Amino acid sequence: MIEIDDLRKIYVMGTVEVRALDGISLEIVKGEFVGIMGASGSGKTTLLHMLGLLDEPTSGKIVIDGTDIAGLGDYEKTMFRLYRLGYVFQDYALVPDLTVFENVALPAMLRRDRTEDETREHSYDILKKIGLYDRKDHLPRELSGGQQQRVSIARAMVNHPDILFADEPCANLDSENSRMVLELFKEINEDLGQTIVMVSHEDWHKDYFHRIVRLRDGKVVGDTAH
Amino acid sequence: MGKKELKVAFLLALRSLQRGSRSSAILTVLIIGMCFTNMIFLPALFNGIGKTITEQIVDYEVGNVLVSPKSGDRYVTDLDATLDLINGMPGVERATPHISKGGTLTYRKKVLGATVRAIKPVDEKYVSPLYTKMIAGSYLGEDDTGEVIIGKPIAGDASVKEEDEFQASLGGVRVGDSISIDFGNGYVKDYRVKGIYYTGWTQADSAVYITWSDMQLVEGKTLDYADYITVKAKPGYSETFIKNELQQYGVSQKVQTTADLLSKSMGRALQSFAIINMVSLIVSIIITTVVLFIVITIKTLNSRRQIGILKAIGVDKGVIMHNYGFQVIILAILGILLGMVIAVLMAVYMQYHPIVTPEWSATLYLTPMDLVTNGLILFGAAIVAGYVPAYQVSREDIQTAMRS
Repeated sequence: MIEIDDLRKIYVMGTVEVRALDGISLEIVKGEFVGIMGASGSGKTTLLHMLGLLDEPTSGKIVIDGTDIAGLGDYEKTMFRLYRLGYVFQDYALVPDLTVFENVALPAMLRRDRTEDETREHSYDILKKIGLYDRKDHLPRELSGGQQQRVSIARAMVNHPDILFADEPCANLDSENSRMVLELFKEINEDLGQTIVMVSHEDWHKDYFHRIVRLRDGKVVGDTAH
Repeated sequence: MGKKELKVAFLLALRSLQRGSRSSAILTVLIIGMCFTNMIFLPALFNGIGKTITEQIVDYEVGNVLVSPKSGDRYVTDLDATLDLINGMPGVERATPHISKGGTLTYRKKVLGATVRAIKPVDEKYVSPLYTKMIAGSYLGEDDTGEVIIGKPIAGDASVKEEDEFQASLGGVRVGDSISIDFGNGYVKDYRVKGIYYTGWTQADSAVYITWSDMQLVEGKTLDYADYITVKAKPGYSETFIKNELQQYGVSQKVQTTADLLSKSMGRALQSFAIINMVSLIVSIIITTVVLFIVITIKTLNSRRQIGILKAIGVDKGVIMHNYGFQVIILAILGILLGMVIAVLMAVYMQYHPIVTPEWSATLYLTPMDLVTNGLILFGAAIVAGYVPAYQVSREDIQTAMRS
């Protein structure tokens, strides 16, 4: 469960203050597939970065499954991201020098509670699930955009995160690949009960979300179940 | 930093080198290899020169141990008894006397001043390899009289004009020719040139050798004295052992090892070599450090977004830093190995093709310890050069890194 209370993020650019997030309060429960939508500059990605522990809020509180993020040090945040969060980026963000298998297995390799065999087996299972097992020894540049994004999702899922964050994962994909990625998210959500928080500005994506949080000028202007 | 983190850092480093820009990696290895070669070349050359000079001094001047007149005396006296005493000691291969005199050489119309050295040819063979350096004619026999062997630079070359000569010569003396030597004491004699030699050691090559018997004729008396005695040690016996033994057994002359003599005569030259070596070493280390710093800085700057993403997915900054650190370690090891191969190949090549100057000839003198020491120094410099930018970039916050 994610609890967000009066979250603010203010960027200071010279003498100008930009309120990227302006007092957001939300609760996201386990198993929800939440879409954060809004126009460009509304604060969607900033909110996701705050929730994903990629940036520090100016003020406000984020509590994930009872853990107040503000109380975590740098190393603890890193470990929190590794063990409990998954992140899918708009541009896939795969390591170009690693194979598909190595990219997927990378976060799992760092887990101290898994053996090498378990890491390999688990990574293979996920690759089979996303239909890219036969491409496991390929480099990212040898895959299509849709395939790369599926690898990115597999990497985010390999450590069984409590929450999966996705920052406009379909922005660089055509509609067919976008649909494939969204179907994959839906399947993960339904089959595994995976909590997913996804940023999107595509209106047709809302069909996949349980709940839509709309932002404008850093404020929540709509929060509806779908 | 646990074992798993180090394994992941190593994997990232290895894959980056395997699948990243190969030309960049090869270039970096070449640069490190060249820096290593540069680091080791000059000191090895100086060591080679020092070693060659030392060997030549041992071979043609002082042997392993030099027995010279004690303070206040002009000669080593009571020569026969002294030689018998020295030659009877364990560890002594042979002791042989030398006496030198200035002489004026005349060949046709050419006149040249030179040192005339008197030797006992058979004993001299045990102490000096001069007899192996004959390039024409033959070496002196024990009882030869009226015959000399002369150095190639003194003999000269008839095809070279006098004004083009690097060193004054007799203008092309050949074996069998007759040269006249005026010893300045009223004794003038014509000698047949029995052989011409070339050792590469200037002092020896600028001399004329006659037999001990001939010098007795020059002096007009039996010589029971010498300027000095050179002593050759048997294999396995140290110079110091021989020196101590000579002193213990009552050789009352001045006894010095080659090392004693070199520490005085060569001390300043060796000090100069050491300073130049140090400057060369520091310059090489600075160049390597700066090059690696630039290479890794460029690499990290080009990978800032990727570093941000790795951090975002939960990769610790220590893993990221060690990733670049391992890359530097791998590049440095390959570069140093390449440098070692180049240095050894150069040393082998120069064994057969030494650098020859009018004063000395030199090879590269390399020991395994030189290779290891320089390798470790360069490796240390490479680690510092690689880890500094890696440390800096790994500390950058995720947002800044990802935005770049």
